[in-house]
Amino acid sequence: MGTEHIRNFSIVAHIDHGKSTLADRLLDLTGAVDEREKMDQLLDSMDIERERGITIKASAVTMYHEFQGIRYMLNLIDTPGHVDFHYEVSRALAACEGALLVVDASQGVEAQTVANAYLAVETHNEILPVINKVDLPAAQPDLVAEEIEHIFGISKNHCFQISAKSGLGVADLLEGIITLLPPPKDRSIEPTAALIFDSHCDEYRGVICYVRVFAGSLRTRTKIRLMGSGRTYMVTELGKFMPEMTPVAELGCGEVGYVIANIRQLADVTIGDTITEDSRPAVKALPGYQPPMQMVFSDFYPGNNTDYPKLRAAFEKLTLNDASFSFTPQSSPALGFGFRCGFLGLLHMEIIQERLERENDIDVVQTAPTVSYEVVTTDGVARRIDSPSELPDRTKIEELWEPFVRLEILTGTDTIGGIMKLAEQRRCQMIKTDYLGPTRVMFEYKAPLAEIVYDFYDQLKGISHGYATMDYEFIGFEASDLVKIDILVNKQPVDALSLIIHRSVAETRGRRVLVRLRQAIPRHQFDVPLQVAVGGKIIARETIKAYRKDVTAKLYGGDVTRKMKVLKKQKEGKKRMKSIGQVQIPQEAFMSILDSSDN
Amino acid sequence: MNVSSPVSLYVHIPFCSRRCRYCAFASEPMDLHDPKPVIDALIQEAARYDLGSTIQTIYIGGGSPTSLPEKLLFGLIEYLAYICYDVSEFTVEANPGQVNEPILKSLYSLGVNRLSIGVQSFNWKELELLGRQHTAVDVAKSVYAARTVGFTNISLDLISAIPESGIKDFEHSLLCATDLDVEHISVYSLSYEDGTSMKEMLDSGRIQAVDEETDRAMYEMAIEVLEQAGLRQYEISNFAVPGLECAHNLTYWANRSWIGVGPSAASWYQGKRTVNVADVRDYVRRIQEGNDPTLEVQNPTLLERACETAVLNLRRRVGIDLSEFQQQTGFDALNLFAESIQNHVSNGFLEITDKSVRLTCKALPIADQILCDFSTL
Repeated sequence: MGTEHIRNFSIVAHIDHGKSTLADRLLDLTGAVDEREKMDQLLDSMDIERERGITIKASAVTMYHEFQGIRYMLNLIDTPGHVDFHYEVSRALAACEGALLVVDASQGVEAQTVANAYLAVETHNEILPVINKVDLPAAQPDLVAEEIEHIFGISKNHCFQISAKSGLGVADLLEGIITLLPPPKDRSIEPTAALIFDSHCDEYRGVICYVRVFAGSLRTRTKIRLMGSGRTYMVTELGKFMPEMTPVAELGCGEVGYVIANIRQLADVTIGDTITEDSRPAVKALPGYQPPMQMVFSDFYPGNNTDYPKLRAAFEKLTLNDASFSFTPQSSPALGFGFRCGFLGLLHMEIIQERLERENDIDVVQTAPTVSYEVVTTDGVARRIDSPSELPDRTKIEELWEPFVRLEILTGTDTIGGIMKLAEQRRCQMIKTDYLGPTRVMFEYKAPLAEIVYDFYDQLKGISHGYATMDYEFIGFEASDLVKIDILVNKQPVDALSLIIHRSVAETRGRRVLVRLRQAIPRHQFDVPLQVAVGGKIIARETIKAYRKDVTAKLYGGDVTRKMKVLKKQKEGKKRMKSIGQVQIPQEAFMSILDSSDN
Repeated sequence: MNVSSPVSLYVHIPFCSRRCRYCAFASEPMDLHDPKPVIDALIQEAARYDLGSTIQTIYIGGGSPTSLPEKLLFGLIEYLAYICYDVSEFTVEANPGQVNEPILKSLYSLGVNRLSIGVQSFNWKELELLGRQHTAVDVAKSVYAARTVGFTNISLDLISAIPESGIKDFEHSLLCATDLDVEHISVYSLSYEDGTSMKEMLDSGRIQAVDEETDRAMYEMAIEVLEQAGLRQYEISNFAVPGLECAHNLTYWANRSWIGVGPSAASWYQGKRTVNVADVRDYVRRIQEGNDPTLEVQNPTLLERACETAVLNLRRRVGIDLSEFQQQTGFDALNLFAESIQNHVSNGFLEITDKSVRLTCKALPIADQILCDFSTL
């Protein structure tokens, strides 16, 4: 098939705006899935994805559709919907020529829609605006069309109005995909160059790479080379997702499919890398390759020290199908042996944490997430640290740099005041404000990542009554006036409770952390003093008073079963805690230090 | 049914003249029932076991056994004394104001040799709040009457941490109790059980629980005052003249087998923990129809038994007797609970002697904090 009859496209949308439903409808219309096999939302294959209504990993499906007597191959490449997977989204988009920008007819454009649409434009995609759920009573398709015109400069008359659920307008959209999106360039005579835009690991077959062929073609039984790593492999199987894996002998120029080549570990394959033929390599790799960049770090310690090997095994298993997550052994004077884990973002961290507990029976104590910092020491050396405990002595620090992001917030005009106040509290610098219509406004800020990484989104949602949306993109490290807060529990410094924060708020935050800890750490059989030190100087103290009375007065024959239950529960409560000296610190305490709210 | 090992028999009388505000035990006002079929059912249930050769202690509690018509109570006691011929301790719970010399005399002559008198307090305001119907004078009268007819083993129950009462009020009760020169005193900190009117009053804010610090001070005072009066603490809440500890309750804390009969009574024998139905009519019907009155049955594993034994043993001041524990459970307590024991020895809440592990004095007021670590492995 010549490239002129191929269309490669993705769907970008905010969570719940109907991306997966639309994908299902397209599969129905093209007959790719018969009724019997159909499960709702086929593209999301992991349990957690279904439960959270988000797509974590991209996937792809090939459909065929006849239009005006010609058979077209349509490759739909699904993209992760969340900001943490920015890089993966950008690779998936890079594999396409066009993107369907789906916007909910009653919700309007959201921050994530904007961020993903910008990415689509950056990766040279033609955009087809699609207004979904037009059949709902609250739908305001015309207003949404105006928003789209205002933000993206696409004429409001070019918007497709559909209902993915009922199928209304989807046939027209399918026609639009064929007539309005460009075909891939025909570079079939050039040396092979295929972009790896996703991968996953199959227990029996090893790594399965999702690829888009940009030049030349891929054939089975040929030797391929990954241009980034330089490693070579023999192709054992090529195929397409129809949507189940269907082997083919060749993937031609412009086509999308999968490659199996005896690659054992997911870590051996990097998304964004280029596959070429070993005997006739491409001159240069496809653009845009980056190693995955972890921005959020957190320590995981087994609740019980003997579970350490179990935790390591669990992490190893997790990296098998998530190469963007990293873990390195870590030992803390207070918490013992554990692992420092790196994540793309906060949601990514939550997903890993959930899978860890769901798939492995381990009690884990996790420290508060932090971002990476760059520290320049007095001897002029700069290095990256990803934990407050790695910070050198303050007399040796010349400068501290923290990561900044470009933050976009979309909200209603009635909540502008609250949101601006929140942004100011979090050291965000306004770049611009853009009114999208009489009731909607878009803010752009330069924000320290550390300030938005924890509960910023929750607060944003609270202030805007659930209405505001946000997205961010890393822009770079910059020097800031930062200090370290240390917490002493029962006179012992606990490294896992240290925080790096801006000097201007250090004292207030330090005091607040103590109050939080006093609430989060249970009472013991003795008084537990809590102290906070800023820059080595103790500035405040709180005491957790000891238990004075805790004993069952009556325990006779008939009470045994019931009392044993109560005591077991009491003991169970101690499990997800970490002993530091004689003090049991529960999981919530480690997280509570990041809570910057007033009460 | 053949029983080889139970050493104690508990008999639950599910009647009271009126329910006390703090009480969550299964009991019903006497005037709603004809007690005769219930006592007949109790006797029938007891008759299903072969109790004669092994039962060493009998305890008739409730409810209020002394709220029963005399004839029925005496009949029951007579029967039990007849079938259990090797009993060394036979206790009946008595309410002050419900017993007099003739009744006590009959009890004594039928073989009852220990009285447990539900005093709770010597302050009329507290008695009123608790919903008790007797006075401090009734208590003294009951004790004197019991002495007169020959009882040499009398126990009093006291409640501490009663709302709106202070440390002085409690001291008064303690001193009154010791003045009566009894052999045994139990002191319980008031607990608010679900479904009681005391709990409801607490939840609705009509009363306020005594603060933790006062609660503890009262407990410590009880230990001090009672020890000084020659009553040695032998369990978290129990004090006795040495040698007159309650043998029946020691069965529970040793985790040895016992049988309970009557509505809501629990049993622990042949490796099963069972509980009878609490509803009086249901109980009587089941017994009359020859059916099993038990509602819940549990078969603790060997490890669960070991944990139960440890928790119960540690309530005794003598703690876990290591060789007895080994013999009874098959486990070495020091090994089985090595981590918890080491922990609590280092923080001064447990002490190990050459043959036992026990709570230290400072552990007593917060014993659950330590015991919970023995509740599972």
